[in-house]
Amino acid sequence: MKISRKWLSQYMDIRDLTIEQLQEKITAAGFEVEAVEKQSQGTNLVIGYVKECKDHPDSDHLHCTKVDIGNEVLDIVCGAPNVKAGQKVIVAKPGAQLPGGIIKSGMIRGQASQGMICALFELGVDPKLLTEEQLSGIEILDEQAPVGNEDPLGYLGLDDEILDIGLTPNRSDCLAAFSMGLEAGAILNRKVTLPVFDGASDIGGPTNLKINSTTSRCPYFLGKVIGNITIKESPKWMKELLMASGIHSINNVVDISNLVMLETGQPMHFYDKDAIVNQEITVADGFNEDYTALDGVTYALKPEDCVITNQGKPIGIAGIMGGDDSKILDTTKGLIIECAHFDHVSIRNTARRLSLATEASIRYQKGIEPLAAKKALDRAVQLLIEYADAKEIEETVEFGTNPYQDKIITCTLKDINNVLGTSFTRDQVFDVFNRLHFKPEYEEETFIVTIPSYRTDVEGKADLAEEVIRILGFDSLPTTLPLMEMTEGKLDEKQKMIRMIRSYFTSQGLQDCITYTLISTEKKDNAILSDGDAIELSIPMSEERRWIRTSILPSLLDVVSYNHARGNKDCSVFEYSDVSNKNGSFSHLAFVLSGLLQENRWTGYQLPCDYYTAKGLVEGLLDQMGIASSRIYFKENKMDVKHFHPYRSACIYIGKECVGVIGQIHPDYAKVTGIKNAIMAELSCDALLNIKKSKIKYTPISKYPSVSRDLAFVTDRNMPVEKVMAVMKKQGRINKELIIRNIEVFDVYQGEHVKDSEKSVALSILFQSDTHTLKEDEINTVFNNIIQAIEKECKAVLRS
Amino acid sequence: MKQIDELRQEAIEKISNVDNLSELNELRVSFLGKKGPVQGLMKLMKNLPKEEKPEFGQKVNVLKSELSALIDQKKIELEEKETLEKIESEKIDITLPGRKPNVGNLHPLNLITQELEDLFIGLGYQVIEGSDIVDDLYCFERANIPKDHPARDMQDSLYIDENQLLRTHTTAIQMVVLEQCAPKPIKVVCPGKVYRRDDDDATHSHQFMQMEGLVVGENITLSDLKGTLLFLARKMFGQDKEIRFRPSYFPFTEPSVEVDVSCHICNGKGCPTCKGTGWIEILGAGQVHPNVLKMAGYDPEKASGFAFGVGIERVAMLKYGIDDIRHFYTNDKRFSEEFKRFE
Repeated sequence: MKISRKWLSQYMDIRDLTIEQLQEKITAAGFEVEAVEKQSQGTNLVIGYVKECKDHPDSDHLHCTKVDIGNEVLDIVCGAPNVKAGQKVIVAKPGAQLPGGIIKSGMIRGQASQGMICALFELGVDPKLLTEEQLSGIEILDEQAPVGNEDPLGYLGLDDEILDIGLTPNRSDCLAAFSMGLEAGAILNRKVTLPVFDGASDIGGPTNLKINSTTSRCPYFLGKVIGNITIKESPKWMKELLMASGIHSINNVVDISNLVMLETGQPMHFYDKDAIVNQEITVADGFNEDYTALDGVTYALKPEDCVITNQGKPIGIAGIMGGDDSKILDTTKGLIIECAHFDHVSIRNTARRLSLATEASIRYQKGIEPLAAKKALDRAVQLLIEYADAKEIEETVEFGTNPYQDKIITCTLKDINNVLGTSFTRDQVFDVFNRLHFKPEYEEETFIVTIPSYRTDVEGKADLAEEVIRILGFDSLPTTLPLMEMTEGKLDEKQKMIRMIRSYFTSQGLQDCITYTLISTEKKDNAILSDGDAIELSIPMSEERRWIRTSILPSLLDVVSYNHARGNKDCSVFEYSDVSNKNGSFSHLAFVLSGLLQENRWTGYQLPCDYYTAKGLVEGLLDQMGIASSRIYFKENKMDVKHFHPYRSACIYIGKECVGVIGQIHPDYAKVTGIKNAIMAELSCDALLNIKKSKIKYTPISKYPSVSRDLAFVTDRNMPVEKVMAVMKKQGRINKELIIRNIEVFDVYQGEHVKDSEKSVALSILFQSDTHTLKEDEINTVFNNIIQAIEKECKAVLRS
Repeated sequence: MKQIDELRQEAIEKISNVDNLSELNELRVSFLGKKGPVQGLMKLMKNLPKEEKPEFGQKVNVLKSELSALIDQKKIELEEKETLEKIESEKIDITLPGRKPNVGNLHPLNLITQELEDLFIGLGYQVIEGSDIVDDLYCFERANIPKDHPARDMQDSLYIDENQLLRTHTTAIQMVVLEQCAPKPIKVVCPGKVYRRDDDDATHSHQFMQMEGLVVGENITLSDLKGTLLFLARKMFGQDKEIRFRPSYFPFTEPSVEVDVSCHICNGKGCPTCKGTGWIEILGAGQVHPNVLKMAGYDPEKASGFAFGVGIERVAMLKYGIDDIRHFYTNDKRFSEEFKRFE
């Protein structure tokens, strides 16, 4: 809301405060002054008299003038089409600082010019407030303007300073200047005097006005006929206040309706009495037709819109905009005043649908103080009598009843200090309530306050505490920490696991990512490891953000594609995130590897991003989590061969539970994502978290030496090496003790000297016992058993 | 006798001139071997008169051990020299780049979240998270946000159906915690993603992260909130920072405040970041509204509490001087890598 120094000065004396001091104090009390605007700007200005005006000899549009500024006469070249001898004008003397720059004396096409004759827009006046004429030429002052006066802007009443205040939603009452004035008075601790108009509308003779509402969206409605008014120019003070609020003056009657709205916050509508057939007005809804409003635009009304009607026909969109055929004209003789309560949600919906934000609709949407209608009517009648010669005033007609009752709150000093942690005194608190016009009383250690009608936000003790600290200032608040029972600060198991996962992957060279939860239909359809139907937003923001994701990988592939396009070839990323589907919310972990994970070029050291690197990463992670490698299986991927290369991917199992998919991206899907190649995986973290982990338990290190034996064989190309190793382990016991402690694959070969259908595998087996030093023949026995078993069960042929 | 001296001279000269171990070995063989001159001298002994034999024999033996010692000493010298040469030949360029491991790092938003979590864990808080999808009840109703509030319009928040939506603030987690804990004391922080119907631009994002703090107990005051937030501000922006409260409005707190921290760029002198005021707004907070306590099952006459909510993006942007919120969600490697350092 905008309020100016002139507005506030009507109600209190603030001559001792600079605009900056006002800004600071008001802001500190919760009314953030977002900007301070000067209504106009310019130094070194003076009122001048154009003594002479001739055409410039070298120009078809410039004029050479002689301007008397009191103590001297200046030669000024002026380009304005409307400049003439005999005018009183605003002169910017050399050295003047205007919004557009500094004025200097000089030659303009060979003619001396010692300043500038100004238009108002050149002095920073908002063009919205100026007429066509004012926008196309210099400002011409009235004949009485005193030549030589060095404050022409003050003479024009354009010297106001405007505070632009961002109101919090609970204080929309301060959209009304009266409320803002009272509030500023409380903040600045000044005596506030508002105009007196109470009961001004109670007068009036008999009336034929019939008002009605057939919709619950208008529960209360005041109407009044003013039979005779005189349309004329508004007084200067009124025009100035409207200008300071950014409203253009039209005529006294329209200006009064606007001024009263600014003062009380209550929008009101004045109808030309003669345009309202039978003096009947009904508020209704249920219309489904086009309607042309005051602004000449045709709007499509919907049944839920609240409409003002006369004889069943719309004459205005309630609380938003009136109609053209009943508006106030220069010829208007009498008025019907409408002053009503409308449901703010209904106004909000209609205004939004029609994209119509008017001064009235904005106020209705934010809520109007309960007693504003009567106040506004009183004030309007008072002003109409004084400034529009209102006569033939008829009595007020009321539809509905106003249920407002005074709100009384009680609290103790302790209540206030307990909320704040302060030690304010009774007198300090009492003074705050007084300044806020809460009419405080103090009985039996208790404050009893009566909340003014406009303070709909104040409901209880906590609100009173807020008022106290707001007015007394937050600087007086001590700095303490809560005193309570000791509590254990901690992360839960899942949170710890997430931290471990993030630290593991980052230490391995992967970048931690966060991508959007909302995704497109295309991404939704490319979900990986999703275990339920995706959830769609009921009203999506856009096609790109229609679904809640069930899987992370499609978004993460986007990240890789984005990075590849920007030259970040080695891009390995991971994300931990919740995903959701119709069965609930789940925690997923996904990663994508591309390029090289580790590299040092001059030494030829590389860690490529292939299936085995990815598999190793998962194995390492599960290891860290305490999931025994004997429970982990990488099985043929039968789940998703649309996104994964069918022969270079696997489902990850822990026991019988599938916890994820891993592998090379399918060449077809790679094309869709714009990535040449990548290895990717998505895992369910809920499954990982819920799996029983092995506890750390110490096993003594064997005291006896270990022996290593190598073994190379040829087998079928499709024979899983894991199976061969399992067969070997079965043969690895002496006296029930497993003496095979490790089997390491050290070579796998396919190519020359090996048949196309076969592969050569070389393994190193480590034997050790915890009970004795293994003898040569013990090892030989086991080793031979191993060879026999793999020859039989794995069709392995030993290589010589 | 003369021959002995001549042989000594010859041997000493040859040994001293040798410059490698194999030649030295050859010398040893040629002088001291069975067919060598020393042995040859011994053979001459038989032709000597008897009385000269002992002296001659002794002299030859002295020569033998002399030469043997000389060779041994030379051997040590040559071995040392060879080792030195070998080590010298192994010289590398220590300035060539090392095999520096490529290490990733936390996303800056996760980094800030963890820092804040750790700060509050140290103060005895638990970390509680929740689902992105919440009931209207916990997102709005319990937070004292009236039914006709614009945020509750299906058009304005990201609703899934009439009752469920993507949470618009982490306050939704708090409301669940309040209900679960009533009437017991609470000390929690709740980080999470939140969603608003905003078009993405440099300062708006339809998805962002918040962390809220909530303390409920007996006699928890606004002053306690101020002390707590001073910790937070100093952790994030430096130990020399101050905070100030400005009155504000949130439906779920009363009194409500905006919290400013003294500008870390200009240290309060005034600069473009703080718009010349010396202060930067970092979060909103307040005393939990009595209605909120009541709805969750607390008696507002007995229990009180404070709550605060901080925008993680906002903190990150201020702390690191990031100018566009969209950077957090494009995950450009070059952007992410700027947050690698341990701080």
